[in-house]
Amino acid sequence: MTPTLGLICGALLLIGTFVYTFWPENVFASQRVKTRLDYLLERKEQLYENLRDLSFEHRAGKYPEEDFLNQRALLENETAQLLAEIETLQQA
Amino acid sequence: MATFGSFALIIALALAAYNLLAGAVALRLLATGQPAPISPERLADTARRAGIAGFVAISGAAFALIWSVFTNDFSITYIMEHSNRALPGMYKFSALWSGQEGSLLLWAWLLGIYGFVLRLTHKRDVTLYAYAGAILAAVQVFFLAILNFAAPPFALFRGAIPEDGNGLNPLLQYPEMVIHPPMLYLGYVGFCIPFCFALGALMMRYPGEKWIRITRVWTMVTWLFLTCGIFLGMHWAYAVLGWGGYWGWDPVENASFMPWLTGTAFLHSVMMQEKKGMMKSWNVWLIFTTFLLTLLGTLLTRAGLVSSVHAFAQSSIGTWFVIFMGIVLAVCIFTYIYQRSHLKSEHRVESLVSRESSFLFNNLVLLAACFVILWGTLFPVLSEYVVGNKVTMGAPWYNTVAIPIGLFLLLLTGVGPLLPWRSTSMKSIRRNFILPVAVLWGTVIICLAFGVRPWKDGAFDSGDFYALVAFSLSTSVLSAILSEFVRGAGVISKQTGRNFFTAVWLLTRRNTRRYGGYIIHIGVVIVVVGLAGAAFNKNVESEMALHDKMVIGTYTLENVGFTQDSNLNYNSEFAQLDVYKDGKKLFQMTPEKRVYLASQQPQTMVAIHSVPGWDLYIVYEGTNASTGQPIIKAFLNPLVSWIWAGVVILVFGTFVALFPSLLPSTAALRVPARSAPVEPALTGGAQ
Repeated sequence: MTPTLGLICGALLLIGTFVYTFWPENVFASQRVKTRLDYLLERKEQLYENLRDLSFEHRAGKYPEEDFLNQRALLENETAQLLAEIETLQQA
Repeated sequence: MATFGSFALIIALALAAYNLLAGAVALRLLATGQPAPISPERLADTARRAGIAGFVAISGAAFALIWSVFTNDFSITYIMEHSNRALPGMYKFSALWSGQEGSLLLWAWLLGIYGFVLRLTHKRDVTLYAYAGAILAAVQVFFLAILNFAAPPFALFRGAIPEDGNGLNPLLQYPEMVIHPPMLYLGYVGFCIPFCFALGALMMRYPGEKWIRITRVWTMVTWLFLTCGIFLGMHWAYAVLGWGGYWGWDPVENASFMPWLTGTAFLHSVMMQEKKGMMKSWNVWLIFTTFLLTLLGTLLTRAGLVSSVHAFAQSSIGTWFVIFMGIVLAVCIFTYIYQRSHLKSEHRVESLVSRESSFLFNNLVLLAACFVILWGTLFPVLSEYVVGNKVTMGAPWYNTVAIPIGLFLLLLTGVGPLLPWRSTSMKSIRRNFILPVAVLWGTVIICLAFGVRPWKDGAFDSGDFYALVAFSLSTSVLSAILSEFVRGAGVISKQTGRNFFTAVWLLTRRNTRRYGGYIIHIGVVIVVVGLAGAAFNKNVESEMALHDKMVIGTYTLENVGFTQDSNLNYNSEFAQLDVYKDGKKLFQMTPEKRVYLASQQPQTMVAIHSVPGWDLYIVYEGTNASTGQPIIKAFLNPLVSWIWAGVVILVFGTFVALFPSLLPSTAALRVPARSAPVEPALTGGAQ
């Protein structure tokens, strides 16, 4: 490739990238601001997953009964608090 | 092509700079809500498009360099220095990363590819991706600025253009070298993406932990590339360098291993953040550190900060890297201090004997290993600065420190999954640990019975001791992992009535992340067994005249010939050795020594016969100048093939973990009142 051809190819690349970058578009991807409620709903899914995890490990024989009940109570309490806050925010 | 390549690099730099500036301005306008002559969304979209266009430009530059190598355009200095006409086609690709300018172009190109994918998938979380894209553009500006001003790959050769080039470094003329460096670079460069997401999430005070889920695939793929790169490098060193080993604690090896250690720590500790909302600051700093270590690795490899057999380029771009690393660190510290209130943990570690604490210990041990290796790697630089003498830490020092750390890490690999979250009762410990402990002691007894003893002739043998510990821990950890599969499959089998193997399949499909992780751990265990085999390596070296014999282990080698060959690329000499066992001829091995014509550099080609128990490894070291007889060095290296087999399992496990899990069969959950017990979808199975 001669230097002149190289320059022409370079100029074409410049024009192509410029047009692509600044081509007038009126539709843009956008999103609403994430709220605390969105966050709590995500957290709720995670807590349910943790509960399922705990239950499965109990049935697989990893937890003695008393340990399982104790852990489940703690997780349920945390989930209940979270659900209460979700409910408050949804009502508001 | 030089003109087009240079032009493309300038365009790529301008587009990256625009991406950074327009992206930053748009995000500022969006955050503050200030009125502006152009809508911030439109501005942000042009920034994103500039990033995509930049990928096209940098691809054009990379294409120009590859084209120039294949067309033997020796008017470009880089091509003249790193290629020649007789170089086989596949090694012409290697010329792209054999020198500093080319490898920096590869860095920038791979960064462009990652950035291209990131910017195309922006709809998943537009704002977070815009932050990550702008930060990524800043990194691109740095690399493109170096390529344009400090290390231009298209610089023209001054004077009469030579007929042929200097040729490729002989060490790189090996099939694995066509894939090892790109793999390693994909790993290095890829850690930039989770870094950009983490920094972006911190800058925008991203609510929740969803950014971790978004970056999980990026992090795992990057980790996989780095893992493959490291092990391909080990295999290359084993097959090419001819010293019988695969890891020599060389600074460049260490440079690739350090971000792997912190990246591994990050992959573990982000699970704590996702599940429990803990270790947020820790995770942010882990990924910051990992990215800084990848930059340090590039600096070590490309700027010749420390001497190494692997450092294929020496240059003065070190100052650029040091300044950039300083800027990155300053930005990280400032952002962390400014936004640290966003990183408060939602829970604390409640017990030292819990899965949380095992994750924490795992992280501390990985970081300790990283710090030790960093200290050893930079010690020559530090010692020269402080006392004026360059003191290099050798392999024995690293082994003394790193082996105990590695074995402790192996222990945690087995212990972690057996511990419950939050806290553990004695009853639970007894229930979960009885099998692994029994297996551990059973292995100790078997190993002692078979002669793996830490004392020999009344003296302590640290090699055998560590091998004994490694074998025992490996079987114990393996039993712990397999018991996880057996227990889980038992539950699934009871629920669904399927046979055991179908139940294992369903179990893995229902939680690919966890069980894929366990498969990775099995791979790690197999690798450790292979590494422990090094304690029993044997070697013999001697001159071998025609029909002379050499005995190593159960093999007898007989020299039946010594011959020469040549082609356009190199001249070679090789010995022909018949291998006997119990008086019966098994096969012939032909270790070789080459001298490449263009560079006039010699290169060893090792002959390796590999079976599951050991490798027979033969090196032809040349001829004795006074007698003219060939010198042969033979090694018997036990269990080396286990290392490569373990890596295959590890890669398979990573693919499993990357595969999406099946959703639990009962998705609907009843929402209880505040005081009522929650009833999750327990029949869903393994989650």
